[in-house]
Amino acid sequence: MRKLWVLSLKEVLLTVRDVGALVMMLVTPLAITLVMAAAFGTGGTDAPLESIPVLLLNQDAGTMGQALVDIFYSDALGDLVTPELVTDEAAARTRVDEDDVAALVIIPADFSARVFPLGALAQQMAGVDVTRITSDTVLTQEQQLQLGMAFFQSQDLTKTDPVVVEIYASPDWRISSAVVKSIVSQGLAMMNTQIAGTTNILTRLATAQSQADAPSGDFAQMAGVFQMDWGSDGAQTAELPIKLHVTSSTGRRFSWLSYYASSLAVTFLMFAVTTGGRTLLAERRQGTLPRLLITPTPALAILLGKMGGVILTGVLQLCVLWGATSLIGAYWGAPLSVLLAIPVIVLCTSSLGALISAWARSPGQAGAIGAAITLIGSAFGGGFVLRWSLPLWVQYASFVTPAGWGIEILGRLQAGQALDRVLPWLGGALALTAVYYGIALVGFRRQFN
Amino acid sequence: METAALVEVRSLFKRYSPSTPYAVDAVSFEIHAGELFSLLGPNGAGKTTAISVISTLLEPTSGTVSVDGHDVQRDPMAVRRVIGVAPQELALYDDLTAQENLRFWGEMRGLHGAELAQEIAEKLALMELTDRAKDRVGTYSGGMKRRLNLAVGLLGRPKLLMLDEPTVAIDPQSRRYILDWVKKLREQGVTILYTTHYMEEAQELSDRIGIIDHGKLIALGTLDELTQLVGEHETLRLQLLQEEGGANLAAALQSIDGVIKASATDGEVLVNVTSAEATLAAVIGAATGLGLGVRTIDIREPNLETVFLHLTGRALRD
Repeated sequence: MRKLWVLSLKEVLLTVRDVGALVMMLVTPLAITLVMAAAFGTGGTDAPLESIPVLLLNQDAGTMGQALVDIFYSDALGDLVTPELVTDEAAARTRVDEDDVAALVIIPADFSARVFPLGALAQQMAGVDVTRITSDTVLTQEQQLQLGMAFFQSQDLTKTDPVVVEIYASPDWRISSAVVKSIVSQGLAMMNTQIAGTTNILTRLATAQSQADAPSGDFAQMAGVFQMDWGSDGAQTAELPIKLHVTSSTGRRFSWLSYYASSLAVTFLMFAVTTGGRTLLAERRQGTLPRLLITPTPALAILLGKMGGVILTGVLQLCVLWGATSLIGAYWGAPLSVLLAIPVIVLCTSSLGALISAWARSPGQAGAIGAAITLIGSAFGGGFVLRWSLPLWVQYASFVTPAGWGIEILGRLQAGQALDRVLPWLGGALALTAVYYGIALVGFRRQFN
Repeated sequence: METAALVEVRSLFKRYSPSTPYAVDAVSFEIHAGELFSLLGPNGAGKTTAISVISTLLEPTSGTVSVDGHDVQRDPMAVRRVIGVAPQELALYDDLTAQENLRFWGEMRGLHGAELAQEIAEKLALMELTDRAKDRVGTYSGGMKRRLNLAVGLLGRPKLLMLDEPTVAIDPQSRRYILDWVKKLREQGVTILYTTHYMEEAQELSDRIGIIDHGKLIALGTLDELTQLVGEHETLRLQLLQEEGGANLAAALQSIDGVIKASATDGEVLVNVTSAEATLAAVIGAATGLGLGVRTIDIREPNLETVFLHLTGRALRD
């Protein structure tokens, strides 16, 4: 046991004294994480998805809430989403928690009144739903007068805090919930335009009524003049008092910084570990391995010590990257869960390094194979693009490399999943580890003999 | 009275694959406790293969090898506990200091604590490396690395120290240092298996010498015993003015009365003769006849070079 420890510490010491290795293990992933987070920081993602199940809880009695609901039922989104109106909030949240649906959109009770107080007053005073007025609409003189009064009264209303539309998303439906968020965002933006346009027309109507030389004509005619249709480009936009609040059953939100912090850490762990595995071949070439083999130390202990050093170095690498990226705002998951996941991911990755070094013929060949597998595995696993935006077959294929498991596990922890839900994935990584180490041992026996 | 054999090699055969010739071919010898035994032979003769089998790194194809009563195949760990090896390659970690290297290799030999600390200090002092103990080995000269390589082999006070070509590729000063150090070890009673292709080293250091060529042990004995194999013969060493032509001269000399064997290498011709005085004129005449100029001629008493020439028909450096 003591010799295993000594061998492992020697490996760590040799690695930390290698400036080139440190740059590859720590500096490069940190730098690329920052660049990627800066590039994708505000971006979203798209995916070839269809029939995304989404629950709509409309607590609003007004027209604006219904308008938002209608967007989900529009023909344009018919293939993309499968909306379902619900009334029981607790039951709906449970369905999200159970991954039954991608997300729940909660429209609050006072949504219309707070988003568009002028519309609410117009409904109340003139009995007119201004959101449904078109150039064909005919209003009486009395209704036009009431609309003007409604406009002036709305100016006296005190501004309140933004109304919150909550999207309660499932961490397992990352892309789908991102799509739902995008639909709600676009719907709200459209409402913004509508409200601004309507307000514009009502402003002109009210002004006309207050001035003797104002042009005559009814509201509907003016609507035609100013092309006031919902979604018209002619309408001016203004800041909408709506706040979109995306939550999940785990309370975590997606962040590119966090995603790239962990996925690139896994990618560069693979680089480092395949390099580490290569050292066995390098030791053979420089004569230190034969010298080790004629000390009173069993060959298996030498192998375990070497791999122990690789694993220890990998754990240190991931911990340093975890700490460093956390300082700049990345979130890797609940600390205890991450602490458990890191050794498993490193162990899994080390098995690939062992496999390569057991069967490669030279350090150069091991390095080339290791780099190729790292790049391909990382591309399939989501090291460079969002894993969950990749086709399913690619995601499944990535499980033949540690990158697939590592990025999946850390992604789930980032989404705030509890350890018990991540355990099956940790088990999968360990199964791959066992398979790779088994094949590696056959190769090592061949080499040592 | 002869001491007990510490190393016994019996009918050792080793080849790396069935399609290759034997690297070690029917080799048998013993090394007695306290003895310095040299395996002398040209590069590729099988010296390192033999040492690799004795040190348990390679398994013999057939034959038996035992060290301190332990069979290398049946009980390799017991053998490893009593041997120390300084391999021909500098098997050190350049990114560790000398002290760290010694500590690591000491731990691998099972040493630790105060015992290891004492050994490290001793070995550093012995090799005159104490002042540079905390410098990384990568900053050392070739000679310093070679000394540290030897120091690692000495860790744990092995019963048998195997030195595989310890003076290869180093400067004359470091070479002299190492040879003096080996002599001191011999005086201290350390049993040493020394391999070299330098005849002078084997002559200077060894109690007994085994001459190995093409995997076969072609002669074995003390220096006196080996030189007696050549009889009273002498050796003429001719240095030619030309680089080329030595081989033609060697071939021509074979037909001269009194010439036993002749070989050529690098503008030099070695001629094994029954009497230098009787054959000198004929030898020079043969060179002149071939249009070759002779820069120097010296006459040598029988030595290991002569023995090798006598046994193989080739110079040791061929």
